[in-house]
Amino acid sequence: MQSHGGQVRRKVEFRQGCDDFVETVTPTRFTRRTLLRATVLGQRDTAHESLWDPRRADRSVVTGQVADVSPHLIIMQTAHGEERLALTPATVAWRGGLVPPATLRRGDVVIIRKNRARQTAERVWAQISRVTGTIIEADGSALLVDEGPAKGRRIVLIDEGSHRQIQVRFPRLQPDYLIDVIGLRQQGYLQALAPATAQPPYRADHPPAPPLISGHIPDPVSGTAVWHDPGEEPSGLVGLAYPALDPETNCEQSPAPPDKHAVDPHTAGPGCVRLPYLSVGSAVRVHNECSDRSAVLPVTSCGAASRLFCDRCVECGTSPRGRIADLTMTAFVELGGNLERGCFNATLTFSG
Amino acid sequence: MTRREKESWEEMALGGIGALSPVLHATREVQIPLLAALLIGGCAAKAKRAAGARSFDAALSPSMMFPLRMHRPITIGLFASELALGTGLLVTAGRFGAGVPATAVRSATALLFATAVGALHELRNRRPEAGCGCFGDLSDTPVSWRALGRSVLLCAAAIGCVGVLPLRMPTSTGQAILLLVTATVELGVLAALSPEVSEVMVRLGYSEPCEVRRLPMSRTLSALRCSSHWRHYRKYVTAMEPSDMWREACWRYVVFPGIVAERPVEVVFAVYLQPRRPPIRAAIIDATSGEAPARVVPAQRSAPALLPAPVFTAAPTQHRSQHSAGL
Repeated sequence: MQSHGGQVRRKVEFRQGCDDFVETVTPTRFTRRTLLRATVLGQRDTAHESLWDPRRADRSVVTGQVADVSPHLIIMQTAHGEERLALTPATVAWRGGLVPPATLRRGDVVIIRKNRARQTAERVWAQISRVTGTIIEADGSALLVDEGPAKGRRIVLIDEGSHRQIQVRFPRLQPDYLIDVIGLRQQGYLQALAPATAQPPYRADHPPAPPLISGHIPDPVSGTAVWHDPGEEPSGLVGLAYPALDPETNCEQSPAPPDKHAVDPHTAGPGCVRLPYLSVGSAVRVHNECSDRSAVLPVTSCGAASRLFCDRCVECGTSPRGRIADLTMTAFVELGGNLERGCFNATLTFSG
Repeated sequence: MTRREKESWEEMALGGIGALSPVLHATREVQIPLLAALLIGGCAAKAKRAAGARSFDAALSPSMMFPLRMHRPITIGLFASELALGTGLLVTAGRFGAGVPATAVRSATALLFATAVGALHELRNRRPEAGCGCFGDLSDTPVSWRALGRSVLLCAAAIGCVGVLPLRMPTSTGQAILLLVTATVELGVLAALSPEVSEVMVRLGYSEPCEVRRLPMSRTLSALRCSSHWRHYRKYVTAMEPSDMWREACWRYVVFPGIVAERPVEVVFAVYLQPRRPPIRAAIIDATSGEAPARVVPAQRSAPALLPAPVFTAAPTQHRSQHSAGL
């Protein structure tokens, strides 16, 4: 209660919890945000529900586990039941490298881009995973990497055959420096096979400052779009982890004193690209400059770790510096990206 | 040309040179303190950046052209050179150190700037996106012809000050004015060739865009409670605590549960993110149908004038082949 000029007012308070789509018990409040925003600003919004629907008929990506595979057919167990897709000579499969699709193993976690019209598998990625974060400990080819307060730590073992390739792009495999590698998901660790980018020359806790912008943030914004390991996210989630969530939501504050080498990306500054503050549930149009595909995606989580990187994507031309979107695997593949490449040149438009 | 005409031309030429001689002399004298200030200032700016980033690599962009193991010694060597030469120029400017020490310091300065010209040219070719790092954080813009031109000018200035007699205080007002004008002109030329000046101007006049402005939630709620929109829609609200609150760019949205004609509704407010008297918009939406209830009279839109909604586009960008995934 507050007293002001003789009047007694009830102080309005708002429980400042963290917006987290994965952990919240009422995810529908996120799905309604685009509708409410459009209504109060006098705009039409017809897509707010379909943004979040993982079973839309026009989706071309399927995730699941391999139940059986033969030279002509792959059978998967997905969250919505069994799915069968035909394999053709044009099907490309990745399992640590390009392999014949029939060599995929039962139980492999796969993500498949399919040809919707013909119900065939175009590209299959099996057991693919990625680790992005700060090196905490290093012992030869074994690294302990901190992926941020939400994801915790992961063990990375650099494959012997890939050691030189990774070390050329990441010359400082030592604590306090960043790493971003793609490889095979193994039991309890990542078998690193390829670098996803080049290592920044600065320490993880001192990324470069963004350029000063007067007036308004430019719209659209161009940069690099990457993908992240799903972790505890629902299977098949289509969305992005956004690097600039409203800091008032207190997301991912580390509850305990972090390891001396771990970096809380929320304290490292805004990163090298200025993005407007958004919230979980905000709709953003992501355009893949390489495949010329675009989609309106919801922000599903906090992607503050992307702020630590100021790299460019050279998938098709050279993108401006900075990571502007950290997509879920499904969203990345839906937009035409290839997971083993790690990134695509992207443009974000903050659709209304 | 006759002998008389030839003698007349020689007299005019010598007279011109004689008139320019004090200007040239003043120009050569002014270089010493200017070069010293630039060297010491550059060293300080780089050291500040390296200290802030706790990394020598952050201090000097040209060092990235060399192998990793050479970054640290190159950067330390440059710090030491700039500081030593800048200090040496000042120490040997007067009678103390005149002669061989002064000549050695000034020649080394000319050599340093000549090396800088080559390094910047190489950096521009091999790493076109990198800044020179000449003045720390202010020098992040890619190396351009302006920066190269500045290095050439400074190299020429350093060569020009070799052999200058020990500096002393001006003996007349005219001499003092000449020195001042010469220094001002040279500073103007250096400023025109320096991208750091525009960076400083931007920082001085900087105002943070509303899209990244930080404002506590409590300020938004206070502004809302004091508004006419709140007074108008308060009667529909059934709970004082918002059911949801979030931000998108320059607007913060606050949602309260409500009742209209015994139907559950959501009363949503949009509050612009500015510290004082922010524009506010409001709407009521049926909690189940998503439509606006018929019995609700919208609030009058009175002063202050509402700012337009952020310029967001919903249309896909135009490209050669319009292929939207349609997700």
